[in-house]
Amino acid sequence: MTVAGDTVTLDQLVEWLHRFRTLVVENQQYLTELDSAIGDADHGSNMARGMNAVAEKLETPEAVDSLFKTVGMTLVSSVGGASGPLYGTFFLRIGTTAGAVTELDAGALSAALRAGLAGVVARGKAEPGDKTMLDAMLPALDALDASIAAGADLADASAAAFTAAQAGRDDTEDLVARKGRASYLGERSAGHLDPGATSTVYLFQALAGALGGLPE
Amino acid sequence: MIGIVVVSHSPALAEAAVALALEMAGSAPPTIVVAAGVADGVGASATGTDAVRVAAAIDEAASPDGVLVFMDLGSAVLSASMALEFRESECEVRLSAAPFVEGIVAGVVLAAAGATLDDADREASGAMIAKNAQLDGPGEGGAASSVPPAGENSDAVAEATVVNEVGVHARPAALIVAKAAGFDARVTIADADDPTRSAPAGSLLVLMGLGLAKGTRLRFTGSGPDAAAAVEALRAMTADGFGET
Repeated sequence: MTVAGDTVTLDQLVEWLHRFRTLVVENQQYLTELDSAIGDADHGSNMARGMNAVAEKLETPEAVDSLFKTVGMTLVSSVGGASGPLYGTFFLRIGTTAGAVTELDAGALSAALRAGLAGVVARGKAEPGDKTMLDAMLPALDALDASIAAGADLADASAAAFTAAQAGRDDTEDLVARKGRASYLGERSAGHLDPGATSTVYLFQALAGALGGLPE
Repeated sequence: MIGIVVVSHSPALAEAAVALALEMAGSAPPTIVVAAGVADGVGASATGTDAVRVAAAIDEAASPDGVLVFMDLGSAVLSASMALEFRESECEVRLSAAPFVEGIVAGVVLAAAGATLDDADREASGAMIAKNAQLDGPGEGGAASSVPPAGENSDAVAEATVVNEVGVHARPAALIVAKAAGFDARVTIADADDPTRSAPAGSLLVLMGLGLAKGTRLRFTGSGPDAAAAVEALRAMTADGFGET
């Protein structure tokens, strides 16, 4: 826990995004395999294309709001599938909520992520248990907030969020999809991990990495 | 005239659907802007939708009469709803729930006929009803059974024979719908010799589906405050051949 502190810097936010891109690209094939079981077999390639486009635009951001506006707009115009508007809205809401600042304390980080989550819900109209990215994101943010409330630093809080996201993703295996292409399969969607919940785990793995919450 | 935006994962799909609609839209079609596909990062287009492109398409199609947006499936709907946050134009924009092909045909033809945003949206969204009626056949469900029987609650009745060469195809049907929308009246159009073949005057796709050919005697039955004026207007335009020969 070398980088941990009470605030998240702009550099750490950029590192979060680079780490997310690396994880998405490394696991591109796996995400697409998951999506081929219950969706249209493009989640890996779509997310990799989107985050590669994002990575090209991360140099020298001026503030948190402009950084995440760039990230969100790049995703909505490069991903192509439903994850474009969904992840795009997530990052855009983070930016508008954080504002023109250069670092976030624990409360501001939590508020920004919560706004991102609310944006995903508003955009996709999913509920917990619908077998979507929400099923990893919601428990992750609940764990982050609980850790912060219990006095943990951001390293430990982000590690708790990552752990909770994994558990949430694992729980999607037994769920029947009620949103997106997978919902066309009805009961047959059960027995497969949700691709969106899986990429959301990478999002929180990357955050934990950037905030010092992963073992070196 | 309202503007039309077509959102699809596939440029080829969108262009083909628009071409089909334009075949029926006459010589003065509305502005139609396609937003289809997504940049693949290496200079070409990939399958997908792009909310930024959709927003630009809405701005390009913007009209004081409004813009009606048709979408294929999945992310097209998400991208279109997101585009409403990005667009710079301020006219009214409606995301249509209509099925893609039928919706585009109805929307384009009605826009060309001068329909309002409300009328075009309602009619396009009713496309599934028209298709159901076609599949079930007249009088066996769908829209056909929702048409009130001729003669009941009628305040005005008029008849005219279809005189134009190609009958009540898309353009005349659109003119009928646009004309009927201007009256506070509920008008039903039926084949006078086979009243089971009938359609509400507001329903473009049901009207087109009837295939009313040259020589067919049409009966217009209206109810409501403007019924007399409405049936007379429809009778006159039919007798006049809808401006065609």
